[in-house]
Amino acid sequence: MSVYTVTKAPQANTSEQDSGLKYAMVHDENLCIGCNACEDACREVNHVPYGVTRVKIERSGPFGEYPDQSYRFIRHSCQHCEAAPCVKVCPTGAAYIDKETGIVAVNEDRCVGCQYCIAACPYQIRFINPETKVADKCDFCQQTQLSEGLQPACVLACPTNALVFGNLKDPDSALVKTLKSKPTYREKVDLGTRPKLFHVRTIDGEIVL
Amino acid sequence: MSAFHFDGLVWHWPIAIYLFLAGLSAGAVFFAIMLKHFKLADKAYLSPFVQAAAVIAPVAVCAGLGILVMDLTKPLAFWKILVFYNPSSVMSMGVLVLLAYQVVLFAWIGSVFSSPIQQWLKQRLPLLSKLLALLARHEDVITGVLVILSLSLGAYTGFLLSALIGFPLLNNPVLPLLFLISGLSSGAAATLLGGVLMRGNPNGVEVRFIHRIEIPMILVEIMLLFTFFVGLILSGGQSEVAALNAIGEGFWGWIFWGGVVGVGLTLPLAFNLWMKVSSDRKFAYVAVTASFSLIGVLLLRNFILYTGQMTGV
Ligand code: SF4
Ligand code: SF4
Ligand code: SF4
Repeated sequence: MSVYTVTKAPQANTSEQDSGLKYAMVHDENLCIGCNACEDACREVNHVPYGVTRVKIERSGPFGEYPDQSYRFIRHSCQHCEAAPCVKVCPTGAAYIDKETGIVAVNEDRCVGCQYCIAACPYQIRFINPETKVADKCDFCQQTQLSEGLQPACVLACPTNALVFGNLKDPDSALVKTLKSKPTYREKVDLGTRPKLFHVRTIDGEIVL
Repeated sequence: MSAFHFDGLVWHWPIAIYLFLAGLSAGAVFFAIMLKHFKLADKAYLSPFVQAAAVIAPVAVCAGLGILVMDLTKPLAFWKILVFYNPSSVMSMGVLVLLAYQVVLFAWIGSVFSSPIQQWLKQRLPLLSKLLALLARHEDVITGVLVILSLSLGAYTGFLLSALIGFPLLNNPVLPLLFLISGLSSGAAATLLGGVLMRGNPNGVEVRFIHRIEIPMILVEIMLLFTFFVGLILSGGQSEVAALNAIGEGFWGWIFWGGVVGVGLTLPLAFNLWMKVSSDRKFAYVAVTASFSLIGVLLLRNFILYTGQMTGV
């Protein structure tokens, strides 16, 4: 897999030119075992205080009869929407899409903490960081791992490789290969937000009508 | 899940008070302008009702803004909202409207009250009296702009919430209109209450004029509320669930039927109709009717804000 050399200071690049990069992520619910290693790694690398989190694995189940029981694990984190409601409503432009990478990020200096983005995010994954008092969320480790040329912390920490991160515009990337080989779904597509967090649905999870 | 604390709650009651005060300010100014234009003309500054509106409007909008700033997690950084703008953000555009509104509001007050202020100044502060004369000369333009700004401000509070696409109860095209009309009626109520408290005649032309507008306004408000909820219910799915939860049993259902519909709309409507037939209006009737309207609108703001956020899809 390629090494990611990108990542600049917030809003360093606002030009429209095509960088050939657009980051996305897949969470394979069949491989996920709900160990929470992703959350712990994210907390450590990105200095996320206790009580809040950038990523949460929600467990439901068990499904089926003992001993053939299974659980379903759904990843909740920023979906890095292409049409991001949080970016649209932010009065100061503190919530923005990095044109070069497609990452939805927060410019801490500009955020005033009006919480409009938190109310506007239909995935309810934004929060106020109790230490910085600024709106916070997953930024695909833009400022930590990516700037070092590394994969995001949660991806590296996952023991089962349930997380695949990469460039949507690179047909040879593991990300695109995963997307092409497995059926995926995205949350709340009917709202028109065009999320870039993809999920592979658990095969033996519950059926909801 | 309790009525005031639940998962997904982002904006609390201070925001409801801000929404209330902004609408009230816009409404008070709107009715003061109508009073001057249709009834009082050059004598407007002598009317306790216009005087009350001239006090209430700036105080309410400044208090509302103060609450808004205190509610930021970084209140000291509020100036960044004034420096950076995002044209796609309703809040950003609303801040622009609010600023322009305040400037024009003070200009309007200066122009309407220019002659008493000039008398009081008695040639002191020549610069200020020159400014007042200038404002008085351009009163027409100032008034026109202020009408537009006050209506924009009244609707803005509704647009602010309707931009939240994840909440079916808020993301609703009727909401800005509902907020505008209820904001206007709270402004009318505040003007009446302030006016009679400042010894205005409860049976005077001002009260009669406002009451005549108030009856159709309450009827329009009832119609909008009806459209709002019937629209949600008919669209089915999450919207229907959200609407039925909000006006069904439970704390907020009581607030809606008892507070918003009962105290805020039905009683003022009944009192207004009754006052229309009885020839004489007394202080107590005017004050009580106005207070009920104010309570109703304040409850409506809280009801929409809280039940709206309960209904994330
Ligand atoms: S998931 Fe929420 S925070 Fe992330 S880009 Fe979409 S709207 Fe913004
Ligand atoms: S909390 Fe910060 S990032 Fe979110 S909308 Fe307000 S200013 Fe923008
Ligand atoms: S990509 Fe980085 S910031 Fe996002 S959840 Fe994973 S570790 Fe946390």
